[in-house]
Amino acid sequence: MTRRERALTTAHRGTIITGIALLGLVGVYVRALMFTPMERSQGLAQKIFYVHAPVAWAALLAFGITGLLSLLYLMLRDRKLDLIAAASAEVGVAFAVVMLTTGPLWGKPVWGTWWTWDARLTSTLFTFLLFVGYLVLRGALTDFEVRGRFSAVLGVMALVLVPFIHVTVYWFRTLHPDPVVMKPEAPSLPSVMLVTLLTSMAVCTLLYVGFIMQRYALAVLRDVREEEAAGGLS
Amino acid sequence: MPASPSIRVREVSRRFGHRWVVRKVSLDIVPGEAVMLIGGNGAGKTTLLRVLAGLLKPSKGTIELTGTVGMVAHHTMMYDALTARENLAFFARLHGVPRDEWLDHLLELLGLSHVAHERIGTFSRGMLQRLAIARSLLHRPDVLLLDEPLSGLDDAAAQVVLQVIQELKSRGASLVIATHQLVELVSVAERVGIMVQGALVALEPIEGRDAAAVVARYRELVTHAA
Amino acid sequence: MPRSTTASVAFAVAAKDLKVELRTKTAFVSSLVFAVLVLAVLYFARDKTTVGDFDLAPGALWVTFTFAGMLGLNRAFLLERENRALDGLRLTPASATGIFLGKVMGNLVFLGVVELVSLPLFILFYDVPIWSQLPILVAVIAMATVGFVAVGTLLSAMVVRTRFSEVMLPVLLLPFLVPPIVSAVQLTWRILALRPLSELTGWLSLLGSFDIIFFTLSLMLFEAILVE
Repeated sequence: MTRRERALTTAHRGTIITGIALLGLVGVYVRALMFTPMERSQGLAQKIFYVHAPVAWAALLAFGITGLLSLLYLMLRDRKLDLIAAASAEVGVAFAVVMLTTGPLWGKPVWGTWWTWDARLTSTLFTFLLFVGYLVLRGALTDFEVRGRFSAVLGVMALVLVPFIHVTVYWFRTLHPDPVVMKPEAPSLPSVMLVTLLTSMAVCTLLYVGFIMQRYALAVLRDVREEEAAGGLS
Repeated sequence: MPASPSIRVREVSRRFGHRWVVRKVSLDIVPGEAVMLIGGNGAGKTTLLRVLAGLLKPSKGTIELTGTVGMVAHHTMMYDALTARENLAFFARLHGVPRDEWLDHLLELLGLSHVAHERIGTFSRGMLQRLAIARSLLHRPDVLLLDEPLSGLDDAAAQVVLQVIQELKSRGASLVIATHQLVELVSVAERVGIMVQGALVALEPIEGRDAAAVVARYRELVTHAA
Repeated sequence: MPRSTTASVAFAVAAKDLKVELRTKTAFVSSLVFAVLVLAVLYFARDKTTVGDFDLAPGALWVTFTFAGMLGLNRAFLLERENRALDGLRLTPASATGIFLGKVMGNLVFLGVVELVSLPLFILFYDVPIWSQLPILVAVIAMATVGFVAVGTLLSAMVVRTRFSEVMLPVLLLPFLVPPIVSAVQLTWRILALRPLSELTGWLSLLGSFDIIFFTLSLMLFEAILVE
C-alpha cells in the first residue's frame, strides 16, 4: 500500500471509531439524564460533570502523549512521531476548550459566578495555553524538519512543566481557599454515578483515539501531496 | 595525485522540507588541490558548501573529513559592533588558539593592520571579505571552503585573496571554491565541478583550459540536463 | 594542540555579548525604561486607601521584572542572526553547552542589572521592610531569575527564527513562568511580611526544584535546536 492509501485507511477507521464514540457519548447522556439519580445540592447542573471531568481527562491524556512522543521524536527522528504528537496536541486543545467552557456553564448555576480560580480549572487553563503555544510555534515554522525538532523540544519542556503547574496552582489555592466552599464532585460517588462517570471517560478516550487517527491521516495526506509537488530525489 | 583525500563525499543529498537541494553528490579532494564549483543560482553550491562545513547534516550520504574546516561565505559571520581585532580574538578564543602575534600576523597578511581597532560595521565589502578570510584561517584549517570569495571585491582586494589561496595550496590545504567568476579563478583550480539543479553533473580537470572553454562546457551540460 | 573548554567558550560568549550590548545599548535602555514605566504605572494606578503596599508590592515587583526581562531575552540570539554569526560559532569547536551557558550568563547579567536598577525605585515607591530582609530577598530574586532566564534563553533560540519573535516569546514563555513567578511572589510577600522561615520552605523547594530541573533540561535540549 502506498503512504496515501495507508493514510486513507487510517482516516476511514478513525471516522468509524469517532462515530462509535459519539454514539457512546449519546448513550452516556441518556444514562446520565434518565438513569442516574439527581445530585442533591446541585440539581440538573451537576449533569455537566459527566462530560466536564472526562474531557479534562482526555485533554490531559492528549497532552501527555504529545509530550512523550516529542521525547521519542528527539531520540528517533521518525516523522510519524512528530505528526502524531501534533495531532494529539490539536485534539487535546479541542478537549481543553470543552472543559474550559463546561466549567463555567456548570459553575454559574452552582456557584453563582462564571469563573473561579479553582485549582483544576486554572491548571487546565495554563496547560491549554501552553499547548496553544505549541501549535502557534508549529504554525510559524515552514520547514518540516525544523518544525518537528523545535516543537519536540517544546513538547518535552511542556511535559515536564505540567506537573509543576499543577503543584503551583494547588498550593496557591490551598492557601487562598475559595469563599464558596463547594467541591465539584463528592470524594466518594455513589456507584451509579461512578459507573456513568467511568463509562463517559472510556467513551471520551475512544473519541480521542478516533480524532487522532483522523487528524494524523490528514497530516499524512497533506505531507504526501507536498512531497509529490516538490519532486523526488531522482 | 597519490595523496589520500582530505575530503571524501559519498552520495550526499540534502533537502529543505520536501525540496532536494543537493542530490547524490560524490567527490574526493586531495591536499594541495583546489576545486572550483560552478553552477547557476539555486544549483546547490552554497548548500553543498554548508554541508561540507558541517553547518548542515547531510539528509543522506556521508562525508569524511581529515582535519579541520574553515569557511568564507557571503555573510561575514562576525559582529558589527566589535573591532576587527576583537572579532578575531573572540573566534580565536573559541578555537582555543593562542592570540596576539598570530592575530597581528593574519591582519597584516590580509592588509588590515591599519584598521585593526575599528568597528567592522564601518568596513567596506572588500575589507569584510579579507577579515572573513583571516577569521577562517585562525585555526589553520586543512580544508577551506569559499563561497563566492571574489564577489564585490576590487582588483587589489581580489589579488590579496588569490595570493592567500595560492599560499594555502602550497601548504597542502584543500580548497573548494564556489564561484561565478571563472576568469580569475580558473588559473588557481585544478578541477572544476559543475552543478545543475543540485546534482554534480561533471567533475573534470581544468588542464589549461581558459574561462571561455569552461563556460562553454558548462552551457553544454546545462542544456543537456534541461 | 588547540583546546577550548566549555567554560572558556561560555565566558567568551558572555563577554562578547556584554561588550556588544554595552556598545549598542538598545535592548538595555528599552528594558530599563519599560521597568520604570511599569513600576510607576502600577503605583499610580491603585487606590491607596483600599490596596495596601503589602498587597501590591510583591506582584508589582515581579510583573516589572518579568516583562522587562522578556524584552531583553531575544537580543541574545538576534545578535547571532546579524551576519549569520551563529554559523561562525558553529564552525568552531565550541560545544552547544558552552554556547548555551554563555548566552544564559549574558542574559543573567543583563537582567541582573535591570533588577538592580529597578530595586531602588521599588523601595522608593513601596513602604515595605526591605532592608532587614535584603539578603533573603536577593536570594529569591536570583533563584527566580535563573529559572526564568534558562527557559527563556532556550525558547528565544527557537523563536528568533520565526517572523514575529517579539510576540512569540511571551506566548511560549508565560506558562513556564507560572511556577517560578508565583513562587517568587509568594516568597516575596512572606519575606516582606516578616513571616518565619518555616512558611517559606515549601515555595523555596518548588522554586529550587524548578530551577534545577529546567536549567538541566534547557541545557540538554539546546543542542537539538542548534544542529540542523
